[in-house]
Amino acid sequence: MGLGTFIHDIVAPSMEAIAPLMPGETFPIFFEMEMMQRALLASIMVTVVAGFLGVFLLIQNLALIGDGLAHVSFGGVAVGIVLGASSPLWYALLFSTISAILIYELQSRELLTGDASIAIFLTGMLALGLVILRVGGGGITADIHSYLFGNLLLIDRDSLDMIAIITLTCLCILAVIRKPLLACAIDPLAARIQGLPVRGIGLLFSIITAAVVVSMVQVVGTLLVTALLVTPAATAQFVGKSFRSCVIWTQVFGLASVFGGLLISSEIGSGSGSTIALFAAIIFAVVAISKSLSGILSPTNDN
Amino acid sequence: MDGVEITLGTPALEVEKLTVLRSGKVILKDINFKIKKGEFVALVGPNGSGKSTLMLSVLGVLKAQEGKIKIYGNRPMSRKLNGKIGWVSQAAANLPKEIKITVRELVSLGVVNATNLFSLSFKDRNNDIVNAIKMVGLEEEQHTDISRLSGGQRQRAVIARALASNAEFIMLDEPLVGIDRDARNSLLKLLDILCHKENKTILMVSHDLTAMRQTAHRIIYLEEGIRYDGKTENFPDFSTLAGLRGIEHVHDHDLLKTFEKGEGD
Repeated sequence: MGLGTFIHDIVAPSMEAIAPLMPGETFPIFFEMEMMQRALLASIMVTVVAGFLGVFLLIQNLALIGDGLAHVSFGGVAVGIVLGASSPLWYALLFSTISAILIYELQSRELLTGDASIAIFLTGMLALGLVILRVGGGGITADIHSYLFGNLLLIDRDSLDMIAIITLTCLCILAVIRKPLLACAIDPLAARIQGLPVRGIGLLFSIITAAVVVSMVQVVGTLLVTALLVTPAATAQFVGKSFRSCVIWTQVFGLASVFGGLLISSEIGSGSGSTIALFAAIIFAVVAISKSLSGILSPTNDN
Repeated sequence: MDGVEITLGTPALEVEKLTVLRSGKVILKDINFKIKKGEFVALVGPNGSGKSTLMLSVLGVLKAQEGKIKIYGNRPMSRKLNGKIGWVSQAAANLPKEIKITVRELVSLGVVNATNLFSLSFKDRNNDIVNAIKMVGLEEEQHTDISRLSGGQRQRAVIARALASNAEFIMLDEPLVGIDRDARNSLLKLLDILCHKENKTILMVSHDLTAMRQTAHRIIYLEEGIRYDGKTENFPDFSTLAGLRGIEHVHDHDLLKTFEKGEGD
């Protein structure tokens, strides 16, 4: 039994217990049916780790790295499918990790600026995936479609185990290295002089990002990974007044997006991944607009 | 006061026959000087004179073509120097506005080093953080997000971060840029206290010669090599300095302008 199944077994009774309290006609099935429980658990796990990661990505101005690595992951998935792999996400993990390391190297050696190296890997690996699918597979099948836009129904026991291992490991590592990571993100030179292994931490962070992105692919899809990675963290910048409070607000907005998105998508039958992403964007817009309105109404409060 | 001779033993910094190239161009050539423990040295010079290059070489970020640099007897970036050097960069004072981080959170980053990197808690270093904030006088602002501080306060927060690491040797890159006169004076006073009361060694890059003449023990004037290195009170007046630079019959105010111009190398 894997980690995901283990966690599922522990929380399933409590999920069933709170199911009647949940709003909506269809939404409570996320707390009742085993398959849907897995989907909900997976969504929560990736949202928590993505939000935590996102705060650090924003500080380093790396908001689009998630998008880049997600496209790379799609290339990996395509290669995996054509090669007949039972879980193509392992290929995605391999592709995404290698690309993340190479992007980091290109950036830190200043061979290419941040965005350019992301753009090259994004398009290059996506193109590889598409070519291989055409030549070796059946093109964009329904299966492929679900990797592009996410499909919670695809999350079986094995997927949940993989998601649980990736997210919990990354969360633990991030929690342990949060201070050195923040020091490196804010001022790499000062961090290096302080004796911190800036390069090692940067590589570790790249690998974590790659792994988290892969874990998110089934939940929101490669095209929408950034929605959970960056949007909640960006919304939190409007309300947080310290790093710590931003981390907490990010979780609030991230989890609100997941619950809101799943609730609406299950009621009106919209896709779960896209509805979560849309909900995250709407929360951002509401917070941003009300923040600037309150700024106009009380000019003394310049925050 | 003559605080130069107070400590013997290993100098804080030794630079010997240093030559540094950047993109194939000689920026520093045959530079020699030593800084003793407890000294407050100002490194001054016009734009492009190599001040920043010298600082980055001392820190070990730039590699020297020739010559050697020793900090407390060790090569730059040596593990033995971990936590001994506090670096106050310009970048740190110009943090992007989007980053929400309080003074206390920023200062607490100073206590992370190679040995406690993976610690779960830094509570044992709490005193260092509290003291550093107190030393720079930001107790009231400690829970304020740094984007809401003035330039001078932000600079103090970055200095506090260096102090929290218990660094003995504090290097500052143009800390006086972009802050008003009052903030400048109180910052200089703070550095003076750090030097005399806390026995810190200070090396500060600045183009503000007037300010440096008021505070530093010693001035190193850099322009295509070291043109002057000695006690502040013996620092030549501007016309003599012009002679040192190989420029004759220059008016004082022309040279003053060189120093007063903003700089960003």
